[in-house]
Amino acid sequence: MTALDRRRGLILFGLIVVAVVIISFVAYRMTGPMGIEERYSQAVGLPSPGEESGSGWFGFSLEGNPLLYGVILVVLGGICVIAYIRWRREELR
Amino acid sequence: MAHIHLPDGSFTLFWALVWWICALALIGVALVWARRRRSGTREITVAAFVTAASFAVFQVEIPLFGGVHLNLTPLIGILAGPVLGSLIVFIVNILSAATGHGGWGLIGANVLVNSSEVMTAWLLFRALGRVTPGLFTRAGIATFGGLFSGNIAMVAIILVSGIQGVTQSSVQILAGLSLLVAVNMGVAVVEAFVTGFIVEYIGKVKPDLLEGGRP
Repeated sequence: MTALDRRRGLILFGLIVVAVVIISFVAYRMTGPMGIEERYSQAVGLPSPGEESGSGWFGFSLEGNPLLYGVILVVLGGICVIAYIRWRREELR
Repeated sequence: MAHIHLPDGSFTLFWALVWWICALALIGVALVWARRRRSGTREITVAAFVTAASFAVFQVEIPLFGGVHLNLTPLIGILAGPVLGSLIVFIVNILSAATGHGGWGLIGANVLVNSSEVMTAWLLFRALGRVTPGLFTRAGIATFGGLFSGNIAMVAIILVSGIQGVTQSSVQILAGLSLLVAVNMGVAVVEAFVTGFIVEYIGKVKPDLLEGGRP
């Protein structure tokens, strides 16, 4: 693989990005700003579910129950730690 | 990203069951396959990490195009492969529904949508290895391909199932969903960059992890 192959990949990626951004922006202008649930409902002809309050940090917000999200994330984190320790032990053996 | 964001009851009970059965059949095949090839602890660890990362990111709405979220399904495909990847998206969809993000009746359909993203991204990432050596571009293009296939699957599932209680024709629904797909693909740009940077970083610090995504 040469530098030309690497550049060819980057050019292809860049072209896809430019094309997708243009198409998305046009579609966004046509549909207007709305949340994802509202966008889906409008697309299929269902009544709008109504926007949830705009709480969150700098526009970022959690979908679903935040407490359950935290609990599940902690459990998943624990599973990751256990799996990682087992893997390291096996590698050292 | 192509997660079907419709409330429970949008599909008839018949179609909700059909997609659930298809998803369970897919999960069954993946389980048998995973058992036969005996995944090592490294693969299990990678699977655990991408499951946690995907779940964590999946619930966070980012302020782009009015509010969207990432899935990391192409990253799951690239790192964990299509077999473990299908199991991962099943788990993430179950956990998401448990937190109230996504309907239980739509899990079957969403598992199929997300699995198509995982499989397409895995396939493209490997196929592009013959075209370009750059991990960033391979992962980025694979992400676009994966998410596009997920969107196609999402549109197909909705059109086949139909939506309860709407008067729109299939052509009108297709037109609405086409615009939705176009906006969704804008989010794919963000996901392509995120996936590209993660895969390139992994390629530098622990390249053997990128070989883990076997079928």
